[in-house]
Amino acid sequence: MRIANPHLLLRRLHSLFGLLPVGAFLVFHLWENSQSRFGAAHYNGEVVAVLQRLNYLPVLEIVVIALPLLFHAGYGLVILSQMRAEPRRYRYLRNWLYVMQRVSGIGILLFLILHVGMTRIESIWRVTVREDLFGHMQHLLTQPWIFTVYVVGLLLSVLHLANGMATLGIVWGLTTSAYAQRLFGSVCALFGLLLVAIGIHGLLGFLS
Amino acid sequence: MSTINLRIRRQDNPDSQPYWQAFSIPAAADHNVVSVLLALRDNPVTTSGERVAPVIWDHNCMEEVCGSCAMLINGVPRPACSALIDSLIQPIRLEPMPKFPVVRDLLVDRSCMDASLRRVKAWIEIDGAWDTGLGAPRIAPVAWSANYLYSRCMSCGVCLSACPQFGSHSDFIGAAPLAQVRLMNAHPTGRYDKTERLHAIMGAGGLSDCGNAQNCVRVCPKGIPLTTAIGELGRQTTLQALQDLFGESTPSL
Amino acid sequence: MNTPPQAIVIGGGLAGLWATLRITDSGFPVQLFSLFAFKRSHSVCAQGGINAVLDTKGQHDSIHQHLIDTLKGGEYLANQPPVKSMCEAAPGLVRTYERMGVAFSRTAEGLLDQRLFGGVRNKRTCFAGASTGQQLLYGLDQQVRCRESRGQVSVRVGWEFLSLLQDADGVCRGIVAMDLQNLEIRAFAADVVILATGGFGQIYAPQTTTSTNCTGAAASRCYQQGAWFANAEFFQFHPTAMIGRDKTRLMSEAARGEGGRVWVPRQPQDRRNPSVIPESDRFYFLEEFFPAYGNTVARDEASRAIWHVTRELGLGIRGSDRVYLDLTHLNPAFVTQRLGAILDIYRKFAGTDPLTTPMEIFPAAHYPMGGLWVDFERDDNGGMRPDSPRNQATNLPGLYACGECDAGYHGANRLGANSLLSASFAGRVAGEAVVSYLKGLTPRSPLPEAILCAAVSKQQQLNAVLLRAEGHENPYRLHHELGALMTAKVGVVRANAELIVALDDLRELEQRAARIGLDDRAVWVNHSLVFARQLQDMIHLARMVAASALARDECRGAHYKPAFTMPLPAGRFAGDPEFEDYRTRWQANNERWLKTSIASINPDADPILRYDAVDLSVHPPIEPRDYR
Repeated sequence: MRIANPHLLLRRLHSLFGLLPVGAFLVFHLWENSQSRFGAAHYNGEVVAVLQRLNYLPVLEIVVIALPLLFHAGYGLVILSQMRAEPRRYRYLRNWLYVMQRVSGIGILLFLILHVGMTRIESIWRVTVREDLFGHMQHLLTQPWIFTVYVVGLLLSVLHLANGMATLGIVWGLTTSAYAQRLFGSVCALFGLLLVAIGIHGLLGFLS
Repeated sequence: MSTINLRIRRQDNPDSQPYWQAFSIPAAADHNVVSVLLALRDNPVTTSGERVAPVIWDHNCMEEVCGSCAMLINGVPRPACSALIDSLIQPIRLEPMPKFPVVRDLLVDRSCMDASLRRVKAWIEIDGAWDTGLGAPRIAPVAWSANYLYSRCMSCGVCLSACPQFGSHSDFIGAAPLAQVRLMNAHPTGRYDKTERLHAIMGAGGLSDCGNAQNCVRVCPKGIPLTTAIGELGRQTTLQALQDLFGESTPSL
Repeated sequence: MNTPPQAIVIGGGLAGLWATLRITDSGFPVQLFSLFAFKRSHSVCAQGGINAVLDTKGQHDSIHQHLIDTLKGGEYLANQPPVKSMCEAAPGLVRTYERMGVAFSRTAEGLLDQRLFGGVRNKRTCFAGASTGQQLLYGLDQQVRCRESRGQVSVRVGWEFLSLLQDADGVCRGIVAMDLQNLEIRAFAADVVILATGGFGQIYAPQTTTSTNCTGAAASRCYQQGAWFANAEFFQFHPTAMIGRDKTRLMSEAARGEGGRVWVPRQPQDRRNPSVIPESDRFYFLEEFFPAYGNTVARDEASRAIWHVTRELGLGIRGSDRVYLDLTHLNPAFVTQRLGAILDIYRKFAGTDPLTTPMEIFPAAHYPMGGLWVDFERDDNGGMRPDSPRNQATNLPGLYACGECDAGYHGANRLGANSLLSASFAGRVAGEAVVSYLKGLTPRSPLPEAILCAAVSKQQQLNAVLLRAEGHENPYRLHHELGALMTAKVGVVRANAELIVALDDLRELEQRAARIGLDDRAVWVNHSLVFARQLQDMIHLARMVAASALARDECRGAHYKPAFTMPLPAGRFAGDPEFEDYRTRWQANNERWLKTSIASINPDADPILRYDAVDLSVHPPIEPRDYR
């Protein structure tokens, strides 16, 4: 079989991976970490441990999260190279979001290197991170600069996902009319606010 | 104000460096940017008294229907004929429309738009330019109204010049030719070649290179709903890609 | 391998594109020249519609009635077989456009809608929103693009036609053209040339509704090489146009039809804001001059009345040429609903709102009925014989003309919404005629190299002279003088004494145009040079228009000389001696003047004029026009 238009399929795959599984994982991840609110024992014992007990967890992590994420990020950089944005000339919300989608992509990439490195990667050789993730996170987040970086990382990620969903609606042809695009954009914005609330809730949970 | 003051970005040929010149002409009622440039030709002298070659720019109908005179006016791409002087902050800055190669002064080369229209096959296949004796196909008034919006595109290039994805750095064809695909695919016989047109915009530089900045629809002088066309084509290409991958459903034509 | 015969089409408007399509339909290759991308052509400016009898409105409309309306509108000056064929072909043309994808407006049932247009009683005009010309042109543009991508048409956009290549027998064998970017001049050999270069309203600039490229230079160049020019004195002026500094924009007649009132202040030079001028100080001159019709009086009458009030009584607004077209007394909701498109144009380009401030208007040169003389062959049915190589042929063998640059279809005045029709039809016919011409050609020896070289070097010489010239005349300023002169003396109302002065002035202008000094001496995109050349051609045309107008001592259609009016005897009708006396004078006048005027070039002197009989074989004029 011949793939008629690999270009479109690559773009659509990039768009799809942003939502599934990467976006979905973000939602899950924020929900998961909002459990920090219920204390170290609950978080370490009921939330993290359950996940860690899963069979073939590294395979899942690599196939379902890391590879799609890497593809999304790598192809995102290709797309980014096409940008010649003029946010000051065209001060429209959508143009601003267009720029922010690309800027946030870079920001998220940098944040993830830090975040994944400080948690999942570090846990490979440091058993304490694995066994008391709550304590590890509490230690990290009590440092103001790391807390700030996490808040920024959270905001960028949610913005990227919410705006990505809004444009995904246009790209896949879910929303066509200006009205539908505006309406769905507002829904995505509300969804993003909800995610931010959950995320902040989770971050604050580690400090209690 | 008793004079109209302009700053014009000039460029002698495609390979030379641009430079700025200032001009001023006596103010008068109902001037627009084209009429000011016309007046300048009568006596092309800069404010510093230097006699220079008249400014080169494109213009023809001056009713905003031929699409010739688009340029960057105070930083915004728009047709010059409908840019009334009274509505502009002075000194008025005139520059060639960005993203297109400059030919001379404010004149740019927009032939890439023509090539894009060829690429997406923006036409209805007919047997020949003769009467077949058959009456016109029925088109619902509501469908007509939607189509008519797109059929007014005059290839002025304003949407492309405002597009962050379009330019010499990319092969993106931009909103104007995409909207024509939307138009042709909606025609009762134009839809016979829908698949071919969709395949043409599913390749590199096609629909999926749109970044949804949506500047196009904000600057279009004719108010063409370009982003709606892009959404509709998104839907059409989604279905087309599924058909390509999983096979046709019963032909619906 | 023998190369197939080549056709050159000049002009990318409706007529040129139609001709191109019909030639390629028959398998002959076409080289299509245009000053700019086809979509920029002046055809896009036609807003109203295209006439075609479909009889879908329950009014018993007929092709015969369309023919009669067209002939009477042109005061019988058009040859009738071509007009007959045009009216018969109109429905088919509309159907063909429809197949090309033109977005004609629809009825609630989804069928082609038709509307009423000036001067006729039946709904006969197909339209596409408020941009019919644009839609028609785009339909053709798409078809030509399709054929271009198949290699059937080679397109040269950005080239200007300079002169015809003629062999020793005077047969047209190609053209000389100039690349408007690098000013390269080249000869293009071909077996036939079709000119579809539009009208010449720019001789009246800026008081013309035409685009800036409607200089008529191409037609003038053919005329200067011996092509005949017919009926040049007939130029339609549109009464209600908004004067701009750059151009004069058409305001549809609907503004008067829906209740707009035309007035000027009674006091000359009254500088008050129109809204504070009381009724008693307003001169509603159309209502006073034409009590029966008031503001809805016919186009010609309205133009002449406005001319009289501004130019002869000196009552134009603040001493200008303008008069008020007032909608402010009407219900704003009603006006917005009925005249939305006009309001938008006026707001966009004048910056004021006609709902609160009266519009300022003046008659503007709109459409030349005259143009290159073209032939036709009559068939047994009284129409044009299909595919005859004589159709649309000029007097120069191998040169065809079609569209606004030909004089074929409108006689002394043009019916509204007939221009898109005639451009389309003439283009189609020219294409078909050219195919027959090409098929009938016997093998010829190629054009001698010497002729090509001489023609090219003549044009190169012209460029060199202009680029070097140290004269002090500015071509653009001369153009303003030309427009003002033509508007004042060869315009809406004409008098022989003024026409004689105009001819003198034009001769002087021609001499001054030879003393041009260009501000731009670049050999890259030099618009000044290009325009200086066009200006000289425009002055040639203007001289011919003025000479033709001077020679025709009557009033017919758009050509109006008050000294030669022939009013109907008031209160007298057929049978009354006064009326019969009038009929005799009317017949004598037709005997003398119901003739096609044909101008041919006379180097360094005024053109040679002669008068040919009009083919009245379909519907001869028997009764004088009587609208009472």
